[in-house]
Amino acid sequence: MIPVIPGPVPVPLPAPLWLLEFLLVFTFILHLLAMNFLLGGVIILSVSSYLGRRDPRHHELTRRVSRAMPSVTAFTITLGVAPLLFLQLVYGQLFYASSDLMAWYWLAVVFLVMLGYYGVYWYQMQHDELGPKAAWVILVTAILFIHVAFIFTQNMTAMLHPQDFYSLYLNGKVGTILAPVTLLNVTRLAHFVVAAVAVAGLGVALLSRRWQTDSPELADWGRRYGVTWFMAGTLVQFLVGLFFLFSLPVEIRQALIGEKLTAGILILGIMLALLALLSAPKSLAASSVAVLGTVSVMAVLRHFVRLAYLRPYFDPQLLPVRGQWVVFSIFVVLLLAGLAIVGWMLYVFYRPAATRRASP
Amino acid sequence: MNYPVWEPFMLGGGLVIGIIAILHVFVSHFAVGGGLFLPLTERKAYRENNPALLEYVKSHSKFFVLVVLVFGAVSGVGIWWSIGLVNPEATATLIHVFVWGWAIEWVFFIVEIAAAFIYYYGWDRLDPKTHLIVGWIYFGAAWASLLVINGILTFMLTPGRWIETQTFASAYFNPGMLPSLVVRTAVCIALAGVYALITSSAVGDVALRNEVVRYAAQWLLLGTLIIPFAGIWYISTLPGMAREISMGAAPAVTIFAGLSIFLSALVVAFTYFGPYQRPRHFNLVFAFLLAVLALSTTGVTEWVREAVRKPYIIYGYMYANSLRLADIERVREQGVLKSARWVRERDVDPNALERTGEEVFRVECASCHTVKGYNSIRFAVKGWSWMMIDYQLVHLNELKGFMPPFVGTEAERKALGAWLASLNPPPASVAIEPGPPAAKSQSTDATGEGASQQ
Repeated sequence: MIPVIPGPVPVPLPAPLWLLEFLLVFTFILHLLAMNFLLGGVIILSVSSYLGRRDPRHHELTRRVSRAMPSVTAFTITLGVAPLLFLQLVYGQLFYASSDLMAWYWLAVVFLVMLGYYGVYWYQMQHDELGPKAAWVILVTAILFIHVAFIFTQNMTAMLHPQDFYSLYLNGKVGTILAPVTLLNVTRLAHFVVAAVAVAGLGVALLSRRWQTDSPELADWGRRYGVTWFMAGTLVQFLVGLFFLFSLPVEIRQALIGEKLTAGILILGIMLALLALLSAPKSLAASSVAVLGTVSVMAVLRHFVRLAYLRPYFDPQLLPVRGQWVVFSIFVVLLLAGLAIVGWMLYVFYRPAATRRASP
Repeated sequence: MNYPVWEPFMLGGGLVIGIIAILHVFVSHFAVGGGLFLPLTERKAYRENNPALLEYVKSHSKFFVLVVLVFGAVSGVGIWWSIGLVNPEATATLIHVFVWGWAIEWVFFIVEIAAAFIYYYGWDRLDPKTHLIVGWIYFGAAWASLLVINGILTFMLTPGRWIETQTFASAYFNPGMLPSLVVRTAVCIALAGVYALITSSAVGDVALRNEVVRYAAQWLLLGTLIIPFAGIWYISTLPGMAREISMGAAPAVTIFAGLSIFLSALVVAFTYFGPYQRPRHFNLVFAFLLAVLALSTTGVTEWVREAVRKPYIIYGYMYANSLRLADIERVREQGVLKSARWVRERDVDPNALERTGEEVFRVECASCHTVKGYNSIRFAVKGWSWMMIDYQLVHLNELKGFMPPFVGTEAERKALGAWLASLNPPPASVAIEPGPPAAKSQSTDATGEGASQQ
């Protein structure tokens, strides 16, 4: 089938492609970190909430971890805005088309996220009042967010297949056309969800370190519990990742393994994941750094997979460029100032109690 | 033309955006105004040494976080989602022009969200001075995000010199930007009052409730006092046709514009004679009714602002159906079906004119019209003979100033006319007119020359 790729808008890109793609991947990594903690977090909380009906340690752990979830949700959403902005800028011709075909599903993301967000707040604010029902609240929240992940996976995969657009269009009504849910898509979704559970496990372990002062026993147990999730998740991820690699179309896999650069990135990612796995029981800090590396490297690899898919159909290098350097510089200055302000606020918030207010 | 057209059944794309956008506007302006209300009221409580008032501000901040951070933030994403689906071409254009503007707004969002959480969780952790500073940081970031998005919004109605220069500066500093910023800032102050009336009316302590209700009413009155002056300034920057549409040329828009003024006046009157003068008699039900009235005012005003932009989505640059003015000649020569990418047929089939006509409708009209639902085309052409329809299509932009011209070949126009005529039973007068081209002649060729009735 002939690929139907909408034409570009006759306004040049406001910066060179390399800069836009760097920002796309970099901000996507930031989004991934928060998203992993959110998605994996609500899954772990679902399990722990259920176990917490009988085990007070689980109950206390969910109470404490749930306090972090509203801000994690807020940052997952906000940090997701930037990569989607740059994606629309560079790959909009494919993205808008694939989104329109599945418009109702795509629009549903907004409502699912909103419901999930209120679910997170409900669970956190009414944690003890909800009693045994809390497990249901967070389970439903987790299901909502997994649906969001599913819709994203479908759209992000569909936009890589412009050769299928027209036949999909001919065989359905615009807005209701979900690309076939293939084994590849399911594996891709699993790859994300399992990564999220692993990273969130590490997050739980990191959070539990802060409980050392008021309940050292819970802190130790929480750390072991989080690390168990992390290690189990990472081990499963090796299998899922391998399966994902072999679910990719031959030419894409060839392009990945056959090229020195991408093969190197893949090997680096696997090595970092192994390092994270092995260091987790001994050093959370080392493991965290390795995880940060793994997530970053895999996000870069994902970008190369996108380029490999699109190579026959779409070349963003051909888009005209006219840099808007003044306003870009303002963005950079404001970003640095903004990060400094956030850093200062976090500092005054987390500095030891003795240096904070005496009384209101 | 460029993208598949999503037709959300009875609603139509415009209404999908409208519903999400109006709810978002109602909350996002509170996100800014409430951000001013919180530190100012907190400071007032410290200065007056009024712990009860401080307790109220604390409870208001919880309400604020739940409304603003969740609904406000996600519905904002919802607008972006919906415009990308309904009008991808215009969304892509805006993103190409303003990506760094949006990137800057994103920085403000990050600061805003971090500040909101630290303000909310920091009541018992931070000293009053630091807590207030965090409140001011929140407000600064929130207002700055309004500063950015406001310029992008007004660009669509008054793109100013951008059409010639194509630079970011001329796009952002467009004629409507400054007056609209003042209007929206005033709306933020007024809405801070509206929401504060809700939380203050639920305060248990009668003395405190009376004090805070009256105080909140002052915010609402102050905001609504500024709006008319800034509004007149804003209207003075509008293109001539936009002013005409709102002042008589299009009755529905004029009625809504009048309704906007009337509802605003009602809000002021109810606030003045209600919570401001008689805070003792004010309660939660009244507060909600006032909020519904304010939401209705927001709704009709935003609707008018969108409606006066017709027939454009980016004034003087792109029509509401995504057709760029620069592309008109090409599409006219080439035909709309050959220019569009997502069509089932590219030529006019003389044996199936109506089917082809529906395709033309989808590409050229469906971004504003549904067939049977909102802004229904079937209703719009009811009682029209096909000749009448054809005449209207030929002179579309002259007869209806708020519609783009029909762009396409004559054959496509005839096909569209045949389909439109088929939507309703033929009017009685049709007996004295010749039939539609398909019925009249089977020899109509693809260019429609044989079917010309003009």
